[in-house]
Amino acid sequence: MTINKRRMKNQHKIDDMKKIWKDPVLVTTILFLIVTLAIFILYPLYSVLKVSFINEGNFSLKAYVQILKDIDFRQTLGNTLLLGVTVGILSTVIGFLFAYADAYIKSHFKKLFKVVSILPIISPPFVLALSAIMLFGQFGLITRQLLGINNANIYGFKGIVMVQTMTFFPVAYLLLIGLLKKIDPALEEAARSMGASRWVTFKTVTLPLLLPGIANAFLLTFIEVVADFSNPMVIGGNFSTLATKIYMQAIGNYDMAGGAAIAVVLLSLSILLFALEKFWIEKKSYVTVTGKASRERDVITEKHIVWPIDIACLLITIFVLSFYVLVPIGGIFKVMGVDYTLTLAHFKYVFNLGLEPLKDTTLLSIYATPITGILGMIIAFLIVRKRFVGRSFIEFTSLLAMAVPGTVLGLGYISAYNTKPLLLTGTGLIIVIAFIVRSLPVGVRSGVAALQQIDPAIEEAAQDLGANSTKVFVSVTLPLIKTAFFSGLVYTFVRSMTAVSAVIFLITPKYKLLTASILSQVDNGRFGVASAFSTVLILIVYVAIAIMYFGLNKMGVSKSDDNIL
Amino acid sequence: MQRSKGVNIKNLTKIYQTHGGKSEFKAVDNISLDIKAGEFVTLLGPSGCGKTTTLRMIAGFEIPSEGDIYIGGDKVDNLTPDKRDTAMVFQSYALFPHLNIYDNISYGLKLKKITKAQLDEKVKNIIELVGLKGMEVRYPNQLSGGQQQRVALARALVMEPGVLLFDEPLSNLDAKLRVYMRAEIRKIQKKVGITAVYVTHDQSEAMSLSDRIIIMNKGIVEQVGTPKEIYYTPATEFVADFIGTANFLDGEILGIKGEIATVLVSGGVLELPYRGTKKVKDTCKIVLRPEAIEMGEKGLLKGEIVSSTFMGAYQDYVIRVGDNEIKCEDFNPQVKTVYSEGDKIFINFKKENAHII
Repeated sequence: MTINKRRMKNQHKIDDMKKIWKDPVLVTTILFLIVTLAIFILYPLYSVLKVSFINEGNFSLKAYVQILKDIDFRQTLGNTLLLGVTVGILSTVIGFLFAYADAYIKSHFKKLFKVVSILPIISPPFVLALSAIMLFGQFGLITRQLLGINNANIYGFKGIVMVQTMTFFPVAYLLLIGLLKKIDPALEEAARSMGASRWVTFKTVTLPLLLPGIANAFLLTFIEVVADFSNPMVIGGNFSTLATKIYMQAIGNYDMAGGAAIAVVLLSLSILLFALEKFWIEKKSYVTVTGKASRERDVITEKHIVWPIDIACLLITIFVLSFYVLVPIGGIFKVMGVDYTLTLAHFKYVFNLGLEPLKDTTLLSIYATPITGILGMIIAFLIVRKRFVGRSFIEFTSLLAMAVPGTVLGLGYISAYNTKPLLLTGTGLIIVIAFIVRSLPVGVRSGVAALQQIDPAIEEAAQDLGANSTKVFVSVTLPLIKTAFFSGLVYTFVRSMTAVSAVIFLITPKYKLLTASILSQVDNGRFGVASAFSTVLILIVYVAIAIMYFGLNKMGVSKSDDNIL
Repeated sequence: MQRSKGVNIKNLTKIYQTHGGKSEFKAVDNISLDIKAGEFVTLLGPSGCGKTTTLRMIAGFEIPSEGDIYIGGDKVDNLTPDKRDTAMVFQSYALFPHLNIYDNISYGLKLKKITKAQLDEKVKNIIELVGLKGMEVRYPNQLSGGQQQRVALARALVMEPGVLLFDEPLSNLDAKLRVYMRAEIRKIQKKVGITAVYVTHDQSEAMSLSDRIIIMNKGIVEQVGTPKEIYYTPATEFVADFIGTANFLDGEILGIKGEIATVLVSGGVLELPYRGTKKVKDTCKIVLRPEAIEMGEKGLLKGEIVSSTFMGAYQDYVIRVGDNEIKCEDFNPQVKTVYSEGDKIFINFKKENAHII
């Protein structure tokens, strides 16, 4: 009986594989993906592990013992966790406030709130940190000019908390707005009709329904904070986090083993948080169980609720916007806070000496963009539509890449590809690959979401009419998910142009990156040049986004709110 | 003009895993079928009976766990759907939302090596045939359900496939349109003379469309036959119950002589036509359709009225006969004796209306 059962189970797998084997293109694609993902995602991580555990050719825990002895490391670990919790809470609260204002309140500034919550996502990661120094630093516009404080110090914990909250609250906002919009208004109306006041309804219905979502938002921002490299790098001062410590240890102190050991700690933390988010919190969501709202919600118009929320959101909005406005302004004054002479010198410097990183970054990003876009859609297609041996490997690996902090990946790349046959360090190729791996998971995820909305019968119809699997993918699947495809392209380009954490390990004199140039200008205290660089970078990114959306509109794809990255 | 092909299915089995691979489920269990070229055959059965799985195995979307499929005499087991000479009309229509009607219909032809002029002619002819002229440049979301259905049909027909497959194509239409479209489908199928395999759970669809009906239940074939055979001489209780309304009277076979069986039914002894395999002393059931029963002061079997309901066109009775309760529909009650609850009556029926299973 059991033998028969086992035979039947195998039979089923064989049926599916039979189907795949009949399609040579499909088989080749799958094999190519498995090999590629193994080489560029798993192997670097294995390499980090290896470096951390090997001392003079033998297995050893020396690196771990050393970092554990190091008071500095323990301090760093504590810093990272403290930062994660603090920023996680703040971001979730602000994200919730914005989401609530968007979904529940008849607000006057909805559009503005939306822009402000999208801005940090499509901006270089350290722009806010840069502005924070110019506003609140020793020579800060607000601290020195407005308040007359001479010894203001923005560097350290409070600075990081401020800029990271501003950077990551959109993550919480986007997640919570999705959930809030899915809550069926009938549930709240039912509570109201049974005599609950607005506040009681909020406390006993809305909030409990949303609680798993709030926990999820907290964890997601926690993950982002822990992995964040550029903000602590710019504004951290002596306050180091695991992500920056890896870089300092490996590159600054030439201690690869120590850096790798810290990387393993950071990676474990990230994967733990990620697994928690994925398998525990996601399953607890009530909102996704009840599904779509039956009708539109009647928004709250009572002044005593609308005004306080509106004003709170507006203040935050003005605060965030002032940071962005300051970037180009910082580029046109001689020295912010000291000498307010208008000058084009900073921009001249960018276009003379900074032209090379500008060109390199843009070119490498342009290479990475279409490859990531197409690869992401192919992987999404395979995961959603096909059953084959290795499918869960592909799904898991592309998901894993999302959980790997950039610095860990960067360290993995320099330790994995500095020997033959994969001698890639120092090439532009490795930077392009890093760009691809960093953006791929999001592309895959949006592709998967888009595909799940589409009746598989449409693809079957095409195949039934004589199209082979390549033809089906190109003529039916891709056109149907082109919105996800294009937003994947935009995301990849933006992400690549503004990448810091992974690629900071990979830059060489031959390939200079814009973000690294900005960082070194900040390091040298040349905020004017850094501002000019950032302004140019932001302009390139926005122009690219505009071009891609223009192209999208031409091709008849509506840019729905859900897809605005 | 149509090069239609027959379909032969030999010992086809499909096993699915359920509960995350812990147990298996035979969706299709060792079925064999022969469908002749040009025939309209319907796979009929309740949901989960394996009819759609069978259809999808013919199309090539599902790989059989065991067994072989032949189309036009050629084994097609190793062909992917795009290489098989079949075209399918999907339940959800599966029209390409990004292509207009013309491009939807010509999608498959463009993959064939034919000239632009030939393609255009074929598409135009088919658009005319299904009555979609003037709609060519519209998109699927600009059409009504019935029109989308026609596009789906046209898209399959234009391929001039050896076999046309239908997967519950009318289930998304409203009742009136459904009746109209099934007449259309039958008309077009006869006109082009194509082999059609049609999956449905709607018995009236199956009855009105098919040359032959294949009744499936739990992965096996219960009966294959013309609509009349299926209705009048159901092979099993399941078939009798699934097609139309059936009454069952428990009986015992007292004797069999040639093609006549003597049966004891609730105190009465009846002589009824029988060609089955049951032997003397076997229990059996007698299938009686509600419209075949008449009531009177005397007759074949004694009964008592349990309920009597005026339905307009007919008086609806439930009658207790022995241990069984049967339904009877007496049409045009205005000019007939109407019995009421508790009345003792006799039931009558023509012997050829009674079928022993």
